[in-house]
Amino acid sequence: MDEHKVIDSRGSFCPGPLTDLYAAYKESKVGDVIDLLATDPAAKSDIEAWCKKSGNELVEAKEEQGYTRIIVRINTAPR
Amino acid sequence: MKRMQKKILILGAGTSATMLANDLASKLHKEILNGEISVEVLAENIYHTFQPANLDVAFKGANPGDFVKSEISLLNARVEYVVDAASKISLESNKVTTVSGKEVNYDYLVIATGSVADPSLLEGLEESSLNFHTGPFNAHKIWTAINELKSGTVVISIAGVPHKCPPSPIEASFLLDEFLRRKNLRNDVKIILTTPYARPYSAEPISEVVEPRLKKKGIEIMTFFNVSRVDPQAKKVYSMEGDDVSYDLLIAIPPHRGAKAVIDSGIGGKYGWVPTERDTLQIKGFENAFAMGDATDIPVSKSGVVAHLESEVVSENIIALLRNTGKLVAYNGRINCPMEVGNRHGLFVSATYTSQTQKQTPSILKYVMKKAFGIAYWVVLSGKLNIIMSLYFGKTHYPKVEGEQQAPVS
Ligand SMILES: Cc1cc2nc3c(=O)[nH]c(=O)nc-3n(C[C@H](O)[C@H](O)[C@H](O)COP(=O)(O)OP(=O)(O)OC[C@H]3O[C@@H](n4cnc5c(N)ncnc54)[C@H](O)[C@@H]3O)c2cc1C
Repeated sequence: MDEHKVIDSRGSFCPGPLTDLYAAYKESKVGDVIDLLATDPAAKSDIEAWCKKSGNELVEAKEEQGYTRIIVRINTAPR
Repeated sequence: MKRMQKKILILGAGTSATMLANDLASKLHKEILNGEISVEVLAENIYHTFQPANLDVAFKGANPGDFVKSEISLLNARVEYVVDAASKISLESNKVTTVSGKEVNYDYLVIATGSVADPSLLEGLEESSLNFHTGPFNAHKIWTAINELKSGTVVISIAGVPHKCPPSPIEASFLLDEFLRRKNLRNDVKIILTTPYARPYSAEPISEVVEPRLKKKGIEIMTFFNVSRVDPQAKKVYSMEGDDVSYDLLIAIPPHRGAKAVIDSGIGGKYGWVPTERDTLQIKGFENAFAMGDATDIPVSKSGVVAHLESEVVSENIIALLRNTGKLVAYNGRINCPMEVGNRHGLFVSATYTSQTQKQTPSILKYVMKKAFGIAYWVVLSGKLNIIMSLYFGKTHYPKVEGEQQAPVS
């Protein structure tokens, strides 16, 4: 079954959110969805660039109360 | 009737543990002398290493033995120092079991067991790479290898995050460049730095300063490169993102984990980063147990400066609990990592939980300050420079306001 994980990186500056995302990516498979909650303003653009590079998809970056929910779909398994 | 003695048990004998033990021994000297309190350090071995010097050993040929001292010479005589590593920590029963099988009960516990750079965590890494994160004697192997180098490609690879001293891969790249230039070999040896991040240094304001300098030195950068494995036969490093790079010499920053005793005790999951309240440094769910330095899961850099500043918070909080004052203090997340950026210039990556690193101009003065901190290290451990250090760092902890959530970074 595809998994939907939520990772809370709120309150941590770069590289915290990316580090958390990498740890989740390592354990993921195609079809999984990762919601990363971040307060770091650089997180969205960094994750967007990483998705492009790694063949994954930034589905949405939603502004919620005081943080951004960044939704990533795993389209390419870690090699 | 004489009161029962209270034991403060500190696991580890590195930067944070030594500072804390000495601070408590000084602030609680009366209670220790009259037998009310004991401060005990449980150590793995008799040594204390000044880890930042590993870079000088690896790339400048410094003598590895010069940066190792015996821990006992660094500890206040009122501290009980026992070389018998912890093997199992039972937070629920306030008890630590040691490798010799002894059970030590405590009233207050501090986990200061640091982090371990562990090349065995990645396929092929141990047999293929050298590193300067597993001690000065291993760092010396880099010095030998670069002295034998005549041509080819050196890959400096961040093979796992988080790791100790985030600036160290950038520093290594500049130092290797300088070494090769001195040997007139720079045109024959390529330097490639691989990083999992979007830019040469993770924090953008610092990367903006460092990137042009790296370019000027001809140091190539491969970004978004999360090492997945190394093929020692093919001499290739592969990334989770699908890239690869060939090397003649591989210098890796190995993946890190917490201490084995922490992992074996079921604390902090697979990698053993102790779940820690980022303000009071209490282990989550335990009022009388703390973690500090590299051992925690707090998302600040794993650095000596953090270890130092956190040891002050833990000291204040243990004393507050002992004396029942109810006045806990909260760490503000201050980091202050020095970074050498070539040509004897340096800068400091400085931030708190609520303020980001700012762009800055590297200078010779900051380089000299980094070197001065290195020289002062052994004295800093004793606490004798506390006044100077607190003038430099300013206030790094505040009274904890009950019920207050850590202000989220905005
Ligand atoms: C190459 C390099 C460069 C660095 N440069 C800098 C720098 O410029 N500035 C800076 O601030 N920091 C720097 N650091 C980082 C700094 O050295 C560490 O972050 C700091 O020492 C962490 O302190 P600590 O007390 O958490 O852990 P450590 O000082 O690593 O101590 C951990 C202690 O725990 C002990 N231990 C482990 N397991 C057990 C057990 N089961 N029982 C008992 N004891 C145990 C160990 O033996 C050790 O004594 C650098 C590190 C490296 C490797």
